Amino acid sequence: MKDIYELLNGMDFDESEFELMEISEVEKEKVKRGLKKSIKQKNRSSWKKGAAAAAIFVCLSAGMVGMTFPAYASSIPVIGDLFKFLDTGKTGMYDHYKEFSTELNMREESNGIKVTIQDAVFDGKTVSMTYAIESDKKLAENLLIEGSPEILGSPGMAGSSQVTRIDENHYVGLFRSTNLNQEGADHVNMVWKINSLSLPNSHTEIKGDWNFAFSLKAADQKEEVLNLSAKKDGVQVSITKISQTPMSFSLFYNQTASRNVRNQWDDVFVELDVKDNLGNSYSGEGNGGSGKDAYSMSWSSTFEKLDPNATELIVTPHVQVRKHTPENHGEAVITADGEKREVPIKQKPGKVKEDIVLDAMVIPLRD
Amino acid sequence: MKCNESNFIKRLQSKDEYALEYIVDQYLPLIKGILVKVLTPVRNSGLIEECINDVFLSVWDYSKKFQGDHTDFRKWICSVAKFKAIDYYRKASKKPEYSAENVDVGTGRSAEDEWIDSEERAEIIQLMNTLESVDREIFMMKFFMGCKTEDISNKLGLTKTAIDNRIYRGKRKLHSKAANLRLGENGL
Repeated sequence: MKDIYELLNGMDFDESEFELMEISEVEKEKVKRGLKKSIKQKNRSSWKKGAAAAAIFVCLSAGMVGMTFPAYASSIPVIGDLFKFLDTGKTGMYDHYKEFSTELNMREESNGIKVTIQDAVFDGKTVSMTYAIESDKKLAENLLIEGSPEILGSPGMAGSSQVTRIDENHYVGLFRSTNLNQEGADHVNMVWKINSLSLPNSHTEIKGDWNFAFSLKAADQKEEVLNLSAKKDGVQVSITKISQTPMSFSLFYNQTASRNVRNQWDDVFVELDVKDNLGNSYSGEGNGGSGKDAYSMSWSSTFEKLDPNATELIVTPHVQVRKHTPENHGEAVITADGEKREVPIKQKPGKVKEDIVLDAMVIPLRD
Repeated sequence: MKCNESNFIKRLQSKDEYALEYIVDQYLPLIKGILVKVLTPVRNSGLIEECINDVFLSVWDYSKKFQGDHTDFRKWICSVAKFKAIDYYRKASKKPEYSAENVDVGTGRSAEDEWIDSEERAEIIQLMNTLESVDREIFMMKFFMGCKTEDISNKLGLTKTAIDNRIYRGKRKLHSKAANLRLGENGL
């Protein structure tokens, strides 16, 4: 006799009346976790039968783990490559980070919450590290970490952070910290002190003490100084350096603006569109920058791994000039005695923003 | 070794969790599309999540029942999803606050619905097995997949009247068999 699943075998199915739904990596991961949990619950009874055999296996593997990581027993390796997993836009930017990163597996526990730094990688300027947070209580969707990783000895830093909830008790995240004042370093010392985790939706704060300190050796770097520039409508963009690592490459560039632009606009923002001669398009992330005002800045951006067969990089600067309006800008001055004063915005007349595309610059790539 | 189009069915049938991950990656967008379309009127997003879990878990549990290649598998997993979705819809709309406007049941609940809802599905399936293959296919489409008579007639190249007649005759056959079965049980 056939059951329903066998009967469904011969069914013709017309997909055209259904739409494909967009599914994020996080959602897929949630479904997979839910399934594995359900399978485990089902199998629990049959596990008991093999309990003796299983116990021996557990002892053995615990011993092995113990030898590899004497200080930190890792228990969150649910996701192999967090760099890739957290690349939610599927840009491919972090595809090769895991293989060149250092597995740290450092864990600190406080107030029922375990914070684990999993992998970290340093490209000479920016530290990227993945971490996992595990709580014994259920926590809300949004979580803020009070306390950012610091590069020791760096007078100026920029960074970005991203945290994603996997389920009620687990979060994973990625931190990027950039030393604005140094590039091409061969190692970095990091400290990360977390004083509390806050849950903005429920207005609660979990106090605790999670302290990490570690050193990282930089990945191999190959630098080349460049002298390329493009200019249009009073905005000039110059590319000064390219630095390559096994997992990424970075472009260093400056922007300057003419007096006319300064009079007309409040800020200038440059984004690089990077392609190679084989037609590959590279997605990247800004590392932040510094300069004497909003018009003259030095920036750097890191992009995904270069195609080894590419011989030329074609870089097109897209410049956005903007005016400050009360809707898009706010400024405040905080004086030494803690007084906070908002700076009123005087809007300049005319259009609020304009896009300028500069001529492409070509970087020859040599081995 | 990575899961791919040519090996995932075998691996799924031998209970390899990587194959389960592979089918989630491959089919979740489509499965969710099916469930959302059927279950949106119920207005319960938790139900969709529950149903997603149920679909994949059933595919995992009953993977050995599947026969064919990956194109057949796509049809099979979609059919399982639609069957499950309709099942969930029927259970959820038992509650009076939901309207049944999106399911092809006409006015109120039909005898078939009550019948299929009953816990005796195994018995129904047993009875379905006694039908001719064309009739069985019509019944599957009509009552388990929620297809409209018109769609069934297009798919099978039979007129709507022919389908209706077959359903009528099939129902009579099933009813008499079901009655016998019940009598037999009571007689014991």
